[in-house]
Amino acid sequence: MSEHPGHKPQPQAAARKVYSVSGFNRGIARTLGKLPAIWVGGEVTELRRNESWATVFLTLKDPKTGATLNVTIARRTFDRLELELEEGETVHVAGRAELWELKGELGLRATTIERVGVGAHLVALEQLKRRLADEGLFAPERKRRLPRVPRAVGVLTGADAAARGDLIATIGRRFPATKVVVCESRVQGRGAAEAIVVALRCLAAHDEVDVVVLARGGGSFEDLLPFSSEPVVRAVAACPVPVVSAVGHEQDTPLCDLAADVRAATPTAAGALVVPDEQELRAGLEACRRRLGLSVRTLLDRDAAKLARTGDRLRAAPRLLLERRRSALDRSSARLQTLSPVATLGRGYAIVRSGGQTLREAGAVATGDALDIELASGSLGARVEEVKP
Amino acid sequence: MSEERSFEELQRELDDVVARLERGDVPVDEAIALFRRGEELYRACVERLQAAELRIEELSPSDTADA
Repeated sequence: MSEHPGHKPQPQAAARKVYSVSGFNRGIARTLGKLPAIWVGGEVTELRRNESWATVFLTLKDPKTGATLNVTIARRTFDRLELELEEGETVHVAGRAELWELKGELGLRATTIERVGVGAHLVALEQLKRRLADEGLFAPERKRRLPRVPRAVGVLTGADAAARGDLIATIGRRFPATKVVVCESRVQGRGAAEAIVVALRCLAAHDEVDVVVLARGGGSFEDLLPFSSEPVVRAVAACPVPVVSAVGHEQDTPLCDLAADVRAATPTAAGALVVPDEQELRAGLEACRRRLGLSVRTLLDRDAAKLARTGDRLRAAPRLLLERRRSALDRSSARLQTLSPVATLGRGYAIVRSGGQTLREAGAVATGDALDIELASGSLGARVEEVKP
Repeated sequence: MSEERSFEELQRELDDVVARLERGDVPVDEAIALFRRGEELYRACVERLQAAELRIEELSPSDTADA
């Protein structure tokens, strides 16, 4: 070691009281251990929990200065707290100062952690959620179907151009014939909940509005709180037309999401939910029209075929009748035949006439008289040769 | 006839008309009447789609909100 000018000469190495690193750390640790248990408040920035570790590590940050403090807590203690702690949350940590002797690092050995700020909100929110759920406000059977083609879409939005723009652009692209009724409202801060309730009523009261979209982009937990407030949640549940909730980002679940009929992850997704795709709708209509034409043709064809069969039967009827008559006639004629002398002649008899009179006795004629003999076929002219009365 | 009815109602009636015709148990006179009605509904639906302009109406809660 070189001598520095102006400095007092140091004691000889042999004469110094020298602490080992471990000794120093141990000594500091012992001194620190005498400090009282205290509460330290800050933001959780790094949280490392592992099933195989006995200790959970996290870093507390002072949000004003950025100063940091290492905090350790027994994993079993941490797990029993059931905090579901996220980085960025504000907490109060109770514990004692502690030195990690191996590294000489200062830390806080925690005995408990409490969530503050948002944490308190969360507890209240959880209670409200449970109460409204018990009332049945979030029940699946309360959910209404969205109209397929609303006459007008009501949009409740803040001065948030992005959410509103995304929603309207999606509606315009899918179904340009839509009417959109926009109602701007204060959506965060003091009076927001009341303003949202009024805007919602106002939209629902519009004659043509068949569905309302709550379009609110992402925001901090506090910013989104009005959408979890009891008046807003109740107004959503009581809204006479179906409500689509597009509030915050995917991971946020404001209570209005649970009361709404449908939840959309983004305003764009909401747009796709509230109006149909025009191309699909047209295709559906065309298909419907084809079926209309086809069904009526099938029906008429079937009827025409039936008519044709009836016509055939109608035309066949007189012939049938005639045939029936003819066979009856044939039978009559057969009976007539048996009575006719012609049939008798057929058996070899003949009819003999003289002077137009049928002869019944020989004495009616004299020798030399002319006779007319009728046979079954043809007749003969003859003269009497002899009379034998 | 269709001015105050929603697109959805018109489309549902069109579907009903087609379904009745497809069932095939209607007399011819009625079938023809149904077909005409169907065509009318189809045209009414298509007309609704023709209004191609997206209309935006701004509503101010202060105008209509009752105290």
